[in-house]
Amino acid sequence: MLARYIVRRVLASIPTLFGVTIVSYFLIWITAGDIVPGVEINPYLRKEDVDRIRHNLGLDQPFWIQYLNWLGLPHLAAQLHLIGGTWPTGLLEGDFGRSLIDGSPVIDHILQRLPNTLELTSTAIVLGVMIAVPLGVAGALRRGTKIDNALTALSVAGVAVPSFWLALMLILLFSVQFEQWHLPWLPSGGAYSAYQGGDFLDRVLHLIMPAIVLSFGYLAVWSRFGRSSMLEVLSQDYVRTARAKGMTERRVVYLHALRNALIPLVTLVGLELPSLVSGGAVVEIVFGWPGIGRFALDRAFGHDYTAVMGIVTFAALLVIAGNLLADILYAFLDPRIRYT
Amino acid sequence: MSGDGDAEDKGFEQFERFLDEWSRRDFLRNLGVGTAYLAFLAGGLEFLAACASGNTATTSNVKEGGHIVEVSTSDLKNFSSVLTNDYTSDQMISMINDGLYTIDANAQSLPLIAKDKPQVSSDNLTYTVGMRQDVKWTDGQDVTADDVVFTYQLMYDPAYKAVNSPRRGTLATYVDSVTAKDKYTVVFKLKSVFAPFQASHMNYAILPKHVLGGLSPADINSAPWNAAPTVTNGAFKFVSWDKGSQVTLAKNPKYYRGAPHLDSYVFKIGVVSTEVLNQLKTGEVDVAYPGIGTIDASQYDSAKSVDSINVYSYPRLSFDFFLFQLDPAKPASKFFGDKQVRQALYYALDRTAIAHALYFDQATVANTSMPPKSWAYNKDNQPVYNFDKAKAQSMLDAAGWTASGGGTRQKGGVPLKFEMITNAGNKIRENLLVVMQQQWKDVGVDATPKYVDFNKVLVPALTNTRQFDVLMVGFSWDVDPDQSQVWHSRNTAPGGFNGMGYKNPDLDKVLDDAVATLDQAKRKQLYFQMQQILADDVPAPILVFPNGLLSLNKRVQNWQYGTFIGQGGRRVFIKDLFVSDGK
Repeated sequence: MLARYIVRRVLASIPTLFGVTIVSYFLIWITAGDIVPGVEINPYLRKEDVDRIRHNLGLDQPFWIQYLNWLGLPHLAAQLHLIGGTWPTGLLEGDFGRSLIDGSPVIDHILQRLPNTLELTSTAIVLGVMIAVPLGVAGALRRGTKIDNALTALSVAGVAVPSFWLALMLILLFSVQFEQWHLPWLPSGGAYSAYQGGDFLDRVLHLIMPAIVLSFGYLAVWSRFGRSSMLEVLSQDYVRTARAKGMTERRVVYLHALRNALIPLVTLVGLELPSLVSGGAVVEIVFGWPGIGRFALDRAFGHDYTAVMGIVTFAALLVIAGNLLADILYAFLDPRIRYT
Repeated sequence: MSGDGDAEDKGFEQFERFLDEWSRRDFLRNLGVGTAYLAFLAGGLEFLAACASGNTATTSNVKEGGHIVEVSTSDLKNFSSVLTNDYTSDQMISMINDGLYTIDANAQSLPLIAKDKPQVSSDNLTYTVGMRQDVKWTDGQDVTADDVVFTYQLMYDPAYKAVNSPRRGTLATYVDSVTAKDKYTVVFKLKSVFAPFQASHMNYAILPKHVLGGLSPADINSAPWNAAPTVTNGAFKFVSWDKGSQVTLAKNPKYYRGAPHLDSYVFKIGVVSTEVLNQLKTGEVDVAYPGIGTIDASQYDSAKSVDSINVYSYPRLSFDFFLFQLDPAKPASKFFGDKQVRQALYYALDRTAIAHALYFDQATVANTSMPPKSWAYNKDNQPVYNFDKAKAQSMLDAAGWTASGGGTRQKGGVPLKFEMITNAGNKIRENLLVVMQQQWKDVGVDATPKYVDFNKVLVPALTNTRQFDVLMVGFSWDVDPDQSQVWHSRNTAPGGFNGMGYKNPDLDKVLDDAVATLDQAKRKQLYFQMQQILADDVPAPILVFPNGLLSLNKRVQNWQYGTFIGQGGRRVFIKDLFVSDGK
C-alpha cells in the first residue's frame, strides 16, 4: 500500500519540479539582458567578444531552446536517434551542467558548500529549540510576571532586529573590541581560520556567532509558540485530572503538559527543514560563511544561469523529498492516518 | 596584533569619529534637498598629496618564512589568463604564473620570462622576444617558446574561436602571427602598427602547453587546470582553492627569479566589504588591496588611527565620468550639441567639493582625461574647468539659454531640462547625480537623476541603444595611454564605448597617429593634442580619478604600490615580500 502511495507521490512531484525550473529559468532569462556571465564590462571589451562568447554559451538562442538544452532533452532525443546533431547533456541525465562564469561543474560547487551550510543551519535550529522550549515553558508557567514580560520583549526583539544588524554588533563587540581589550575574542568571519585553520576547535569558534544570530530569529518565534501551546495544554481537562490525582506540579508540567505542548512545535520546526539549505543567506554574507545561500546570491547577481538553476533544482528536490518523508512519517506516528 | 593604547580612550575616540562621519552623511542628505549648499562650499578642502608609488619596507632585515592573508570580497573566476578579464582573477593569477613582461611603477615593461626588451623591426610590425632559458614549470619541464605561442593562439588563432577569451577581438585585429623561431625565441607579427601592444598585450601569464595543449578548444573553457593550476611558473605554487572561502598558495622554491621569502600566501574570499576593516583590526587579514577587497573611503580616517595597520592612498587608473548625448538623432542633443552648453555645465560643477564630500578626499580631481601619473599626462592642459558659477551662467546666456526670474533656462520655448542615469546601488554615483542636480539647478538647469540596473539598462544605453540624455559611469584606463575605445568615432558603432556619439575627425587622426608610432616622445605630443581637443570639446567630462586605498598590517614589508604597479599584478615585488615577525 505504502509503496504504491510513494510511487504516486513521486510521479506527482515531477510536474512540480518542471514548473519550478521553467519559472526560475524564465526569471533569470528575463532579468539577464545582454550580459555575458563572468566577463567584466570595460571599454577594451569588443562587441565581437561579447557576441562570440554569448554564442559559445548558447545565450543567443531563444528562451525555450536554452531551457530544453539545460534539461538535456535534445541530447536525450539524439541518444535515442530521434534527432541528429550534438547537444549538451542536461538535467534529465542527472547533469547539473557547468557554471557559465567559471566553467566548473555546478554540482561540485554545491557539494563543496553544502556541508558548511548544513553545519551552520543545523546548529542554529538545534540551538533554537534547546533555548526556545525552556523559555516558552517559563513564560507559560509565570504568565503575566516580569519574567514573562521580559521574554515577550525578547521575542519581539528577535523578530524585529534584522539579523545583519545583530551580526555586525556581535562582531564589533566580541571580535573587534574584545581583541582591543586583550580578551579572548571570536573570529569575525569565515568558517575556519585562513591560515592553518580547519581543526575542530577552530571551526567551533567560527561557528558560535553566526549560529547565535541565525538561531535568534527562530528562538523568538518558537518560544512564543511554545508558550501559547503550553498555556492551552495547561488548561486541558487531563491536566486538571492529573493535578486532582495529587501529582506534583513538576510531574504535571513536564510529563503531561510539555509532551503534548511540543507536538505543534515539532510541526513548526519541521517546516524550517528546507531552510537547512537556504535559510542563512544573510548571515552567510555578513560572516563570510562559504555556504549555499551566499553562493546562490552571488551567482544570481552574476547571471550565472546554470549555477542558479542548479541550486534551485537542488533545493526543490530537497523540499519535495522532505515533504514526502514527512507525510510518510505521519503514518507511523499517527496510526489513524492510512495511505491508499 | 593590537594597539597598546588606553582602551577606553580609544573607544571614545572611535565614537567621536563615528559622529563625525555621521554628520557628514547627514550633511550630504541635506545637500540633496538643497539646504546646506553654503556649508558645502565652506567645507575644509584639505587635499592629500597622493604619491605616485612607494615601497613600504621599513626594516632592512629580511625574515624568511611566515605567511600573509589577503582579503578578497569576491571569488576569482578561474586561474586562466586567457579566459578572465576581471581584476580579482588577474591579481591572483599574478601570484602563481608569469608572462613575458610585467609593468613597473613607471608604466614601463619589465622583462620576466623575456630576457630583454623585444627587438622591434624597422617597420614596427615584428617583435622578436628572446626568452630566459632557466624558467621551469613546477613539474620540472622547461617553459619554452611553444608555450608562449600556444597561449597567444588561444586568443587570436581562428582555430580557437570556441575558447571564451574576452581578448580575441583586440588580438585578432592586430596580430598576424605568433611563432617560435627556436626553443627560446618568439616572433610576434602584427597586421598594422599598434603601439599599445607591448604595454598592454605582452604581459599575459603563459599557459603550460604540455598540460592544456591536448584539449579541444571548447574543453579549454572547462579544463580542470583552470580551477586547480598544479603546473605553473610563478613565485608561488597553487595548493588549494576552497571555492567561496579561500585560495591557498605556497612558495615556489625553484622560482627562476629567486625563491620568495614567504612560505605561504592565502586569499580569504567572500568577506563582505563592511567587514574588511574589522578583520584588519583583529589581524584575521593582513592585506586589503584596492580593486579586490579594499576598505571604503569613508573608513580612511578611522583605519589610519588603528595602530596595527598602515593605510596608503594613491590614484589608480580608474575614473568616474559622465557622457553627454551628442547624437543629432536623439532629443537631448539639442542641448548638448552646443559646445558652450557642455563647457558651461562642466564649469558649474564644484568638483573639489565633490571629491571632499562624496569621496572623503580620497579622489583626485581630473584636469584632463589622462591619469595624472601617466607619462602622457599634460599637467598644463587648459582650460581646467575649475568651479566658476558666474562663468557657467554667462556661457549659458551666450548660448541663448536664458532664464526669466530665476527659473529653468529656456531657448525658443524649450526648457533646459533633461534626465541623468547611472547604475542603482552604487552609492557614490547615486550621490554624484544628486549633487550635480543641485549644482546645475543653481545655474538654472533642470536635471533629474534616475537610477537604473547596470546590466539591463545602463550598459545597453552606453554601448547599444544610446537612449540617454546624460549617463554617469566609471571605468579604468589601461596602462597604455591610448583612449580610442572611448573617444574614437569608430566606436560609436553598436558595441563601442563612445556612447556619446562623439565624432571629431581631427581627434580620430590624432588617436590613429598615436598608435601608429612607437616613438614615445611623438606619442606624448599627440596625446597632449588629444587632451587639448577633449578639454575644448568636453564630450564626456571626467570628474575625478578615485584613489585606491591599500591597507597593510604593519608586519607586512616590501609591498610596492602605485598607479601602474597593480596593472601587471604583483609580479614586480611579490617574491621580495616578507613579514617582520617571520610568522
